[in-house]
Amino acid sequence: MSQPLPEKVARRLRHVVGGDHVITDPDRLLVYESDGLTAYKLPPRAVVLPADHDEVVEVVKVLHQASIPVVARGSGTGLSGGALAAHDAVIVGTARMRRILALDAANRLARVEPGVLNAQLSEAARPHGLYYAPDPSSQTTCTLGGNVAENSGGPHCLKYGVTTRYVTGLKVVLSDGRVLDLGGAARDPEGAYDLVGLFVGSEGCFGIATEIEVRLLPLPEGVRTLLGIFETLEDAARAVTAIVGEGLLPAALEIIDGASIKAVEASAYAAGYPTDAGAALVVEFDGTDAGLDAAAARAEACCREAGARDVHRATDEAERTRLWQGRKKAFGVMGRIAPDLLVQDATVPRTRLPDVLHRIMQIGERYGLHVSNVFHAGDGNLHPKLLFDRRDAETLAKVEAASKEIMAVCVEAGGTITGEHGVGIDKRGYMTLVYGPDELAAMAAVRDVWNPDGLLNPGKVLPDPVESR
Amino acid sequence: MSTAVDAIRASVDPRAVAPEHELERWSVGDVVPAAVLTPGSVDEVSALLRAAHDVRVLPLGGRTHLAAIRPREPFVVLSTRRLTGVEIYEPGDLTLTATAGSTFSSLSETLAAHGQWLPCDPPRAPERTLGGMVATGAASPLWAGYGALRDHVLGVTIVTGDGRVLKLGGRVMKNVAGFDLVRLIVGSRGTLGVVVSASVRVFPTPAVDRSLVLRAPRAEALLTAARAVGTAPVMPASAVLAEPEPGGGAALVVRLHGAEGAVDADQSRLERHVGTTFEPVEGAAALSLSHHMRDHAFEQPMVLRLAALPSRLADVMGVARTLPHAAILADVMAGRVRVGMPAVPPRAVESVRACRDAMRGLGGTLVVEAAPADVAAAAAPPPDETTGLVSGLRASLDPRGTLWNPGAFSGGRHGPIGVHE
Repeated sequence: MSQPLPEKVARRLRHVVGGDHVITDPDRLLVYESDGLTAYKLPPRAVVLPADHDEVVEVVKVLHQASIPVVARGSGTGLSGGALAAHDAVIVGTARMRRILALDAANRLARVEPGVLNAQLSEAARPHGLYYAPDPSSQTTCTLGGNVAENSGGPHCLKYGVTTRYVTGLKVVLSDGRVLDLGGAARDPEGAYDLVGLFVGSEGCFGIATEIEVRLLPLPEGVRTLLGIFETLEDAARAVTAIVGEGLLPAALEIIDGASIKAVEASAYAAGYPTDAGAALVVEFDGTDAGLDAAAARAEACCREAGARDVHRATDEAERTRLWQGRKKAFGVMGRIAPDLLVQDATVPRTRLPDVLHRIMQIGERYGLHVSNVFHAGDGNLHPKLLFDRRDAETLAKVEAASKEIMAVCVEAGGTITGEHGVGIDKRGYMTLVYGPDELAAMAAVRDVWNPDGLLNPGKVLPDPVESR
Repeated sequence: MSTAVDAIRASVDPRAVAPEHELERWSVGDVVPAAVLTPGSVDEVSALLRAAHDVRVLPLGGRTHLAAIRPREPFVVLSTRRLTGVEIYEPGDLTLTATAGSTFSSLSETLAAHGQWLPCDPPRAPERTLGGMVATGAASPLWAGYGALRDHVLGVTIVTGDGRVLKLGGRVMKNVAGFDLVRLIVGSRGTLGVVVSASVRVFPTPAVDRSLVLRAPRAEALLTAARAVGTAPVMPASAVLAEPEPGGGAALVVRLHGAEGAVDADQSRLERHVGTTFEPVEGAAALSLSHHMRDHAFEQPMVLRLAALPSRLADVMGVARTLPHAAILADVMAGRVRVGMPAVPPRAVESVRACRDAMRGLGGTLVVEAAPADVAAAAAPPPDETTGLVSGLRASLDPRGTLWNPGAFSGGRHGPIGVHE
């Protein structure tokens, strides 16, 4: 149990945001004890919900004066324990900061508060023929502030890139309440250090973004979605290589392995994938309608060449939703098989996928664990899923050991320990797999420039102890 | 002073030290370097920087982007020209890792053999080096269709001002392991570390590269069409407005990339939206046109870059027009205008200041790409709330101030400020 908030501090916070928006009741704090990674649980000392930028500044100042650590939190959908209130922190939630401050269709820009939901922005932009491209799987619930903190990805990154490409400006509150106005689409990016780019993905350790300026894109005119069914995972991976080799650039290339297909088909979300298939591949093209049928035909030929048993093409939106169903539900349905699911996240160079997948399955077998795979094959971003029962301490230890081996295999193949979920509290121990002491020290030094007193999201990202130099 | 230079000279293999008679050839901004060193390995770059005390080091690649730099003496040139070669290129990965001194033209050749390219087209692109492009950010109008170079750099190896070798990022497309120092390095102009190698994301070469051209006697007559391109439902690979054309007059050039049918359809949608018919150019003619546009208004004694939101393009052009005899290249999608002047105008300091203030009034910025030292200095903005942060970042990666060279940033957000001034 964390220490209660000193009454003097609580009173000052209530004065800033109003009594209803400071949560100290232990029962209500339980909602905030973990994020999407429920393996870690730690209730915060308090949760403060400011209404706007000015209130964030005042709240941060009050906490700074009391030397109380601050963790910013959006919807809590993160998968690395980044929003966990470690070190007796107070959570500053952005749930009330949901305004779209400006939607500038002429310049294809939006300025939003951090609590705006990812999908909410695309919806607001739609009447202008625009949308916000990065689309993490949690897009209907995750906030743009969280996306900025995590540099979120999603299934369409292969063509469109990740969050950092779309963030053009930020208003940031530092740990002592100072405010920085960074970047902005009106300013020449080549005239300055890319402080916006440095901030994106800093997992709440540098500052709290209270205003976010992002670029919007024109809605693609058309979409074509294919589903290839393969006997083996290797065949599906070969099809991906062939599609890329053809010079095609799909918006998404997603693989669902046999184990995941079986789980989906046995659930209420059955998508009609054949349960004896070794893998399914979703290929999606978007853009100018006129070019899409030709691209889809070439991709279909690549699938058949690679040994696809069947290739389905969606002809309407309902069909498209159905083809995606197996991919989108592949995580949720695992609850049927085991009480706990660990979704891992790593990236490898795409051509190493077949070999790395093979080695991951071997690791699973060696530990006697149920491992399945769903992944963004286009950009080599893997999400191995490990099923287990937390109540069984022995299995839990095996899951941890297997996870570490999987990470080591990915790094050895030229990859990295996280492609889109972030390091948070969960992967700090793996950071030494990818970085040496000098790199970690440089990262700590850069963090300390932004956050000199260490009050912002302490105990995250870098392993303990890293001394800056 | 000579001992400082002797120490740095002694830190590398004698073959990496250029003979005395060549030094003048390496002058930067009329300042002659005390030594020119061409290290042949990352270890040698590191040894050199460890040995650098009381001397500035200026890393140089293709020397295409130096016109506003005035090194402080004594300074030593670190040329990356011996650090060449592709380290890892697996076409199926759509990524390439190469050492910093590799020229863009040699890398483009390697990529073209596999039907791939790096969609980045800054002025004098072929002579640029990979390290130089990463260090300068290599602004290019192709950002509209593909993202900017900073979006394509997946990882860098740098040597910090005090000689630490840092491998930052990686060579995969999605990577959120740790803080994104790669972004900090891209566009930092060698002031935080010497880029010794970089991994970039590459793309399939488009089947069709079509330029759509619209001409008029003056750029102003094309502004309405240019703005309409910026709001069209079709995202072009790039769109620029240039004046004067080789034969006089102005041209709006919109590049469309994609499969044959898609480019045809994009052209008609664009023409419908803009309300006019463009002249389509493809093949060799399109290539030579895009090269012309790429280098337009760049190689001039004085070059300024004005930036504001795209919807302010007409106002930005108005500011550009206050400069005498200007050659103009506007990136229509970004709202950025490069202005090249054939000579340094009289009262240049005053006109740069006036332009800077006018751009601020538009919510934008002015960056000096090339100018005499006093003019470049005049554009420097006053310290702002980011000044302390920037000083801290410099101190953490270049604690002795070895890599700080005045003029590396002129104008824009932060000029010659910080702990080393």
